[in-house]
Amino acid sequence: MTKHHLHATPDTVHWGYFSKTLAPVLTLKSGERAVIESITHHANDDYARMIEGDRAAEEIFLWTRDQKTLRRRGAGATDGPFTHGSGEGLGVHLLTGPVAVEGAEPGDIIEVRVIDTWPRPCANPAYEGRFFGSNPAANWGFQYKDLIEEPKPREVVTIYELDMGEAVVRALYSYRWTPQTDPDGIVHPTIDYPGVRVDHGTIVKKEGILSGIDVPARLHFGTMGLAPAEADFVSTIPPSYTGGNMDDWRIAKGARMYYPVAVPGGLFSCGDAHASQGDSELSGTAIEISLTGEFEFILHKKEQLDGTILEGLTHPLLENDEVWSVYGFSVANYLAELGPDAQSEILKRGSLDSAMRDAFRKLRRFLMTTQKLSEDEAISLMSVAADFAVTQVVDANWGVTGSIRKSLFEGR
Amino acid sequence: MTAQPFTSESYSGDAGEYAWQDVLRGFGLQSLRARHGLPAHASALSRLSSTGVRLGKLSADAQVLRSLPSRAGLPLLLMPVENSTVLVVGDERQIVPAGQLILAPRGADWQVQFQRGLRAVVLSVPAEAFRGRKVPLLASCQPRVFDAEGLPDIIGRTARATAEALDRLTEPEWEAVAQSAAELLLALSAELVVATSDPSASRAALLQRLYATIERSIGGEEIAIADIAQAEGISERYVQKLFEGTGESFSHYVRERRLQRAWHDLANPAEAAVPIAEIAYRYGFSDAAHFSRLFRERFGLPPRELRRREADRPAHGAVASGQRGWPQQALAQLRARQANSGPLRRPTQREDGEEGAPATEAPTRHYLPVHAKHVHWGYFSRSLEPLMEIASGDIVTVETLTQHASDDPERMIAGDAGAESVFHWTPTAKTVDRRGAGPLDASVFGRGAGEGFGVHICTGPIAVRGAQPGDVLEVHILDIEPRRSRHPAHAGRVFGSSVAAWWGYHYSELLSEPHAREAVTIYEIVTDTDEPYARALHAYRWQPQTDPFGVQHALYDYPGVLVRPDTVTFQPNVLEGVRIPLRPHFGVIAVAPREAELVDSVPPAYFGGNLDNWRLGKGATVYLPVSVPGALLSVGDPHAAQGDGELSGTAIECSMTGTFRVTLHKKADIGGTVLADLTYPLIETPDDWVLTGFSHPNYLAEFGASGQSEVYAKSSLDLAMRDAFRKMRRFLMTTQGLSEDEAIALMSAAVDFGITQVVDGNWGVHAILSKRLFSHDRRPAGMDEA
Repeated sequence: MTKHHLHATPDTVHWGYFSKTLAPVLTLKSGERAVIESITHHANDDYARMIEGDRAAEEIFLWTRDQKTLRRRGAGATDGPFTHGSGEGLGVHLLTGPVAVEGAEPGDIIEVRVIDTWPRPCANPAYEGRFFGSNPAANWGFQYKDLIEEPKPREVVTIYELDMGEAVVRALYSYRWTPQTDPDGIVHPTIDYPGVRVDHGTIVKKEGILSGIDVPARLHFGTMGLAPAEADFVSTIPPSYTGGNMDDWRIAKGARMYYPVAVPGGLFSCGDAHASQGDSELSGTAIEISLTGEFEFILHKKEQLDGTILEGLTHPLLENDEVWSVYGFSVANYLAELGPDAQSEILKRGSLDSAMRDAFRKLRRFLMTTQKLSEDEAISLMSVAADFAVTQVVDANWGVTGSIRKSLFEGR
Repeated sequence: MTAQPFTSESYSGDAGEYAWQDVLRGFGLQSLRARHGLPAHASALSRLSSTGVRLGKLSADAQVLRSLPSRAGLPLLLMPVENSTVLVVGDERQIVPAGQLILAPRGADWQVQFQRGLRAVVLSVPAEAFRGRKVPLLASCQPRVFDAEGLPDIIGRTARATAEALDRLTEPEWEAVAQSAAELLLALSAELVVATSDPSASRAALLQRLYATIERSIGGEEIAIADIAQAEGISERYVQKLFEGTGESFSHYVRERRLQRAWHDLANPAEAAVPIAEIAYRYGFSDAAHFSRLFRERFGLPPRELRRREADRPAHGAVASGQRGWPQQALAQLRARQANSGPLRRPTQREDGEEGAPATEAPTRHYLPVHAKHVHWGYFSRSLEPLMEIASGDIVTVETLTQHASDDPERMIAGDAGAESVFHWTPTAKTVDRRGAGPLDASVFGRGAGEGFGVHICTGPIAVRGAQPGDVLEVHILDIEPRRSRHPAHAGRVFGSSVAAWWGYHYSELLSEPHAREAVTIYEIVTDTDEPYARALHAYRWQPQTDPFGVQHALYDYPGVLVRPDTVTFQPNVLEGVRIPLRPHFGVIAVAPREAELVDSVPPAYFGGNLDNWRLGKGATVYLPVSVPGALLSVGDPHAAQGDGELSGTAIECSMTGTFRVTLHKKADIGGTVLADLTYPLIETPDDWVLTGFSHPNYLAEFGASGQSEVYAKSSLDLAMRDAFRKMRRFLMTTQGLSEDEAIALMSAAVDFGITQVVDGNWGVHAILSKRLFSHDRRPAGMDEA
């Protein structure tokens, strides 16, 4: 079996957007595997632990008065003057890709199997071989307007260490975000643009936080998906029908994700890796780390879908050993549904109520289409055996997951 | 600034009371009632404008509000919503019905008594909202009540509509609305003066009109005192005299207003491109140099410098400066107390379900069979006579019936003496008449006694000796056994029913015809196997059923109507081959709520009730806050399996018998334990803590008298998520001693939020905290902060 290697370099990453206009950095055949490196966009929250000494990370994050390796960060404007910077941070995730699958056409489904994942070790001699992550409680978090302690509002970054031996994550220290001035002179009073290096001379570190608490590791990629067809540059923040920023920790080793292809080749990208996350990703981020994954890509042609669980699939679908999960969003395909200003309009639409509605409809359709249940059977089964959970309430297009256990159908 | 939500649910104990007073202080109000001992509920949504205008909607338990001595401003506008209130001035008491407006001067001696719960819209406009424009001093005026007509009606509607939309208005929209509301209130305040016979007040009113005239003509090069006097029909001399009475001459006032308004235009970023000379000209200064000199004399800096400073002001400064109100010191004190109180205690120590707490004697065992006289159907009530009284630590076995046994009477009722007794209903006899919290004479819809406003057959209530409001009742489920069919043809087998009902989440958008249909699926529960499961036997579409009293039920709108098999068409082969793993649990475990006499059993809330969380099965525990003496525990709504969401409106409803160990935790003993300050049902499983969030955590208090209908109309997962978030934050801060920042970080990284149900009126989102996180010895953080 052919196994490709895709290193994270300035030439293999794109920052903050999906785009059908990007040339693939790797093209592979259905059935082939690729090992893909990803680097977290929060690495600059602690430069010494997450960038320093790591040549690829250093190059990607390089930003001086004269030089900025990756200018565009986000799907926003690239002509100044900028409010936040080029791309305007309208989309924040540092993604590796895109990877094209030969022969993939709109209407097909690309299956991505997560074979394995492993974290990227620190290359700074001071911390060599250890794994670090960052968890900002950010301005887009669910808590931001509902804080009870002063000062309000505030953003707080917590730096964690991942212990792979015990498969747990522990907090190291935290600090309150202070206005950061980027090399171009733009001040970032809040976390409003990705990859701004936090000057640790401006912050006060608080040690001894969350002491004695072990967070079980749930290594996964928060963002995996294909390029949408609707616009040339699409923010990475709201998840949508081609996947993207799903932020579901179950999309981990052993998972198979199915994505509808919207553009030729599919154009798969991944990043936004997490050491752990709870259902809801409440504060706006998970424990953001750099992660490498091995993936297997399988192309399912449109003609071959009938009679399989992929029949009629127009949205991302998760399969693992236990369940199938459909993903409900506040707006199922916001790019198509919300008109020309979709990318700003979606920012006002986050709601669990509409996401639950969408999840219900998708799961009903899945059961009726792929398990050949009548509507009444599907509804009875959903009430007594399907579980609906909050995926995230922070990615503009909020998510509710509807999961049904595969074991229910083993006797059929 | 953005809308500020407040709920006492965010706070522990007294901190909630402090925080509530702080919210009220923002309006210049104070609550006189500090009802200690009971968890008091209060919530508010308010918003503050850049000019200091504050508008909000307040909901809370019964209490008395009065004015705080506060900074100058217009009288407060209070509008009672839904409940009437009593305005007390001196010895006079005036009843103010909902919808009328109270205009009450700040700092004056009056009280507003909300005897049936506080539900009001409040508008507070400080003097500075008018940017230096003078407003009359009305402290000496009497509060006045206005009917909702004319100007008061316009203000009332504006305030109410704004209060409803506070969190949806953009910043510029809110600023515009706030300013308009301030102007409207200013106009209405003049009425307060007119009404009084005090000559000083009528002078103030006249002065106020003069100020308004000046404001209108401020752009003219020369404002002649003669013109102003003429416009009001008074003499020039009198105008001068009026101004002298304020300590300021007419011409000085005019110049002050002109400079003030120029200052605001110069500071306005939208006008940054307008030349300074043009702004000066706008306010009657034709000589720019002269204007600059006057401006510097008045404000201590030249116009150009003001502009430069405004341009440099960081964009986020506006946000940071708007942070007033919510107290942190109350919380800090609380945590300091906890930090000093040593390591956390568990309420009881036990291992593997065995009681480890020092027990002086073996627990007494009780048995409560199900019978017409042992159930209450569709409601909870603080007034029910308890069937038995047990002691803390006792073990009680309770038989429960599903109200859906009537969906298949042959399999689930026939031959079962207990079930037959409860469901017995003939044209002349109905053993359990009341089914629901509605009227006994069925005068609302005519469905039947109690109107089916609440549907669950609850066994109980059981009184717990010594239980008092403020205590916590622990109900631990030792075992759950399904109830077997007694009908000869099915003896020994177990059956359940699941109805895709009109109250289900799916009902409004069915795909296939006929659109408005209810489907009943009968399940068999197979228990004699390693992995017990449920399988569908058959299904039928609900057909109109006529009950023994002759009432026809076109929909499934009244519980316990026996379905006649000859009226429906059975569809075999449903869900063929599908095996549903069991999750036996009780949908309803409740203590009696305190707020009302009869409470619908459908919406869950702080007292437990229809929690519909399948994690409440064997080995699990629920902790419920006691709110009436004896606690009055009831159990019902048994489920063989349910998914998170309970989408169709029901689970697999199946009669079951539960064995519970009931332990009372006295209020005095729970400080420093995970039960400290519990105001909601808390579920504990061997692995997890499960916190229950609701759209409306205490809908009975929040909506008052209309709660039992409002809760159905106003439920939302977004609200339930908000509640679950706040409860989990509080739980982590109170019981684990975390700081707010730690709690939020942990919630994002390790707490799972799931959807409990979307069909019980008061929708639910639960938050699951794994106990594994805390398996290590730890000391509370936050003590060694730099």
